[in-house]
Amino acid sequence: MAPSDAQLIQRVRADETGEAMRALYRTYSGELYGFALNALGERGAAEELVQEVFTRAWRHAATYDAGRGSVRTWLYQIARHAIIDARRRASVRPSLALHAPGETDVGEASPTIEQAMLGWQVVAALERLSPEHRQVIRLAHFQGLTMREIAERCELPVGTVKSRTWYALRSLRLVLEEMGVR
Amino acid sequence: MTGCDHVRPELGGYVLGALEPEEEAAVREHLATCSECAAEHASVAGLPRLLALAAPMAEAGPPAPALEERVLDAIAGERPQRASRRRPRLLRPRVLVPAVAALAAVAVAVVIAVGGAGEERTPGFEVALQPVAGQSATGRAVLASADTGIKMQLWVRGLPPDPGIVYEVQCDAPGWTASAGTFRADSHGRAYVVLNTAARRGEYDAIRVVRRSRSSSTDVLQAHL
Repeated sequence: MAPSDAQLIQRVRADETGEAMRALYRTYSGELYGFALNALGERGAAEELVQEVFTRAWRHAATYDAGRGSVRTWLYQIARHAIIDARRRASVRPSLALHAPGETDVGEASPTIEQAMLGWQVVAALERLSPEHRQVIRLAHFQGLTMREIAERCELPVGTVKSRTWYALRSLRLVLEEMGVR
Repeated sequence: MTGCDHVRPELGGYVLGALEPEEEAAVREHLATCSECAAEHASVAGLPRLLALAAPMAEAGPPAPALEERVLDAIAGERPQRASRRRPRLLRPRVLVPAVAALAAVAVAVVIAVGGAGEERTPGFEVALQPVAGQSATGRAVLASADTGIKMQLWVRGLPPDPGIVYEVQCDAPGWTASAGTFRADSHGRAYVVLNTAARRGEYDAIRVVRRSRSSSTDVLQAHL
C-alpha cells in the first residue's frame, strides 16, 4: 500500500534517497505552483516559491501535526507565509515589485487558501469529465464563446452543443458533489 | 410561453451566459413561471462561481519539469550544511550540492559529501555525466568512497519514458569494467538510484551509463574522471 502523505512527511528527514519528498512534490507541486503563480504573477517567482515551500516543509517536517489538518492544508499554509515573505522582499526592492503598489496589501495572499484549494478541486473535477463535456465548458466559460459560436467552430448542430453543455454542467455538479464540494 | 422540453437543454448555455440575447430572454421568462425548471437551474447556477476559481489554477499549467530536481537538490544541499552546523569547530568547507543547472558547466567538480549527524566526513566527488553523441539524457553522480568500493548516487533525466529499458552503470579502466548495477527510468524519463560498485577510487577513470538489450548495449552517458 502506498504510504499516506502524513507518513511521507514523517519520513522526509531521515530519508536520504529523497524519494519521500519526491512523492510529495509530485502530488502537490502542480497546485501549489498554480497558487503561487496566481499570487505572484510571474513564473520564475512562482517556481522559486514552490522550491521554498518544499524546503521549508522539509526543515519543519517535525512540526506537522496530522491532528490539526491535512498535509495539503499545511503545505498551503507554508505557501501563504512564503508568498507574504516574497511580497515583503519585493516591496523592499521596488524595481522588483511583483504587483503595482496599492494593488494588493503586502501580507494579503490572493486568492485565499480556501479559494485556491477549491479552485484546484474544480480543476480536478473537470479532468474527470469526458473530453466532449470538458471542451464545451472550456469554450463557453473560459473562452467566452456562445453556443452558436461553439457550434460553428466544432461543426456541430447548435442543438447538440446546447444539450451537451447542459449534460456537461450536470456531470460537473455530480463529480463535485462526490468530492464533497457543494 | 416556451415549453419545458425546449428550455431544459438551454439551461447550460444560459448558466454560462452563452445564449443569444433573444434565447436568454425566453429562458428567463420561462424560469420566472416554472418552478421545476427553476429548480433545475438552481442546481447548476453556482457552477460559474466555482469555475471562476478554477480558471487561474487551470491556466497556470504545470511548473517546469526541471523544478523537481532543483527542489530535491536544494533539500539535499541542506543536509550536509545542517550536519556541519552541529559540529561548529570542525574544519568545514561550505558544501552545496550544485543545482541541476550546473550540470553542463563542469565535467567534474570536487565536493565534500558529509555523512549524517556525528559521522566522519566522507570525501566524495560530484561528477556530471555528459550525453554520448546522439543521446539527449543528462545526469550526475555523487561518489562516496568506502573501503570496499564506491557508493554512487546517480540522477539521470531525459531518458525515454519506457520502463522496459534497462540501463547499466559501469566503471571503466583500460582493460576492465566493473558494473555498479542496473536501473530503469520512470514515466518521466528520470531515475534516481543509489548503487554500489567494487571499483575503488583511483581504480577506474570513466563512468558510463549504457542501455542494455539482449544483443547489444548502447552508450547513453559518460564521464571521464
